[in-house]
Amino acid sequence: MQIIGPDFLVFGVDDVPACHDFLTAYGLDPVGYSPEKGGRYIALDGTGLEIRRRDDPSLPPALKTGNMLRLQVIGVVDEAALSAVEVELSRDRQVLRLADGTLRTQDDQGFELAFQVSIRKPLDLPGEKVNAPYAPGRPVNAVGVTQDMPAKPRTLSHVVLFTPDIDTAVGFYRDRLGFRITDTLTGAGPFLRPQANPDHHTHFFIRTPPYMQGVEHLAFHLGGPTELMLAGSRMMEQGFESFWGPGRHKFGSNWFWYFKSPLGCNVEFDADMDTHDDTWAPREAPMGPEASQAFLLQWRAKWAPGGGPPGGPKG
Amino acid sequence: MLCHLADLDDGEARGFEVPGLKAKVIVVRREGRVHGWRDLCPHYAGGTPMAWKRDAYLNGARTHLACHAHGAWFDIETGACVQGPCLGKRLTRVPLRLDKDGGIHLDR
Repeated sequence: MQIIGPDFLVFGVDDVPACHDFLTAYGLDPVGYSPEKGGRYIALDGTGLEIRRRDDPSLPPALKTGNMLRLQVIGVVDEAALSAVEVELSRDRQVLRLADGTLRTQDDQGFELAFQVSIRKPLDLPGEKVNAPYAPGRPVNAVGVTQDMPAKPRTLSHVVLFTPDIDTAVGFYRDRLGFRITDTLTGAGPFLRPQANPDHHTHFFIRTPPYMQGVEHLAFHLGGPTELMLAGSRMMEQGFESFWGPGRHKFGSNWFWYFKSPLGCNVEFDADMDTHDDTWAPREAPMGPEASQAFLLQWRAKWAPGGGPPGGPKG
Repeated sequence: MLCHLADLDDGEARGFEVPGLKAKVIVVRREGRVHGWRDLCPHYAGGTPMAWKRDAYLNGARTHLACHAHGAWFDIETGACVQGPCLGKRLTRVPLRLDKDGGIHLDR
């Protein structure tokens, strides 16, 4: 199955203006926003989030848990790939073909899904370049950071789901849709990547009781660790609250910084994730602080040494 | 003193740093009563802070305290989790004292 990954995640929320404040500060561009109806929030390549009121009649039914995720819109490479998904899933469930060509169905645990030919627009933007001894990444005279440089989400990276039954989830995403398991945190669950996307993961499942089913977090890729640090620092300076990070995960190698949000889940900045192909041998490690990160830091307000020794001259 | 009653509208919540406490104290005023809770969601061991932005502790309808990491809702009066990942657990109450001038203090 030539699936790329989530193009859009749709939420039904109970505080639309709060979500607008959060997502615009996070760096997504609002499209068609109104406080009454919500709007779309777009990353640089056209992927993004759609925020609607919880009681918006156009949304698919809510999960019984109160979780605000209402729909994952998954992008595939072309019409042939879309037809392949339609044929496969129509074997045992209703798959609707909407007027705009989108497929609509459910996975085996009641998560609502749509499939479409991906709307991603490839970006012509360089990634972060690093100078190392004898291995310069940047041209001479090119500076690595400026205070006001852009640090915007480039593409929707991944969604992490609280999932009551991991075997059922794997049975659907791996065995029906052809996702590959890249690594597994035992005690939590597997990381998966679809066949048409080399990213370490577009989905990660965490085993939970049924009353928790829903989205645990979502993440957008930034252009590199410096952009991630700048974007997160800007959030902190505006009074938004970090949940975890900044740090760097082991599985996937991605830099991370998670923020709590009015979407009822964490929203992560992510950068420099590993890519894989089918020659990759999946790893396994027990879920816990050691396996979850190579290092973990904590933000603080800007500070500089200075002022001289006690009693000495200022400056 | 954490704050003055006049600085807290009915239906409003605010978080206060308290020297010696690793987590803030949430003060929430509802129907004329003031409640104090540790800013520690019981979802994970040890607890994690709950606001998505400074003082943003309530859900959209302002009916519950909410943890904005994973969407848990807590009864403002009892601290009991009524929806989300820590169902069956509750927030830790912080006893408060109201002085005659309307100042809100930790009762310790």
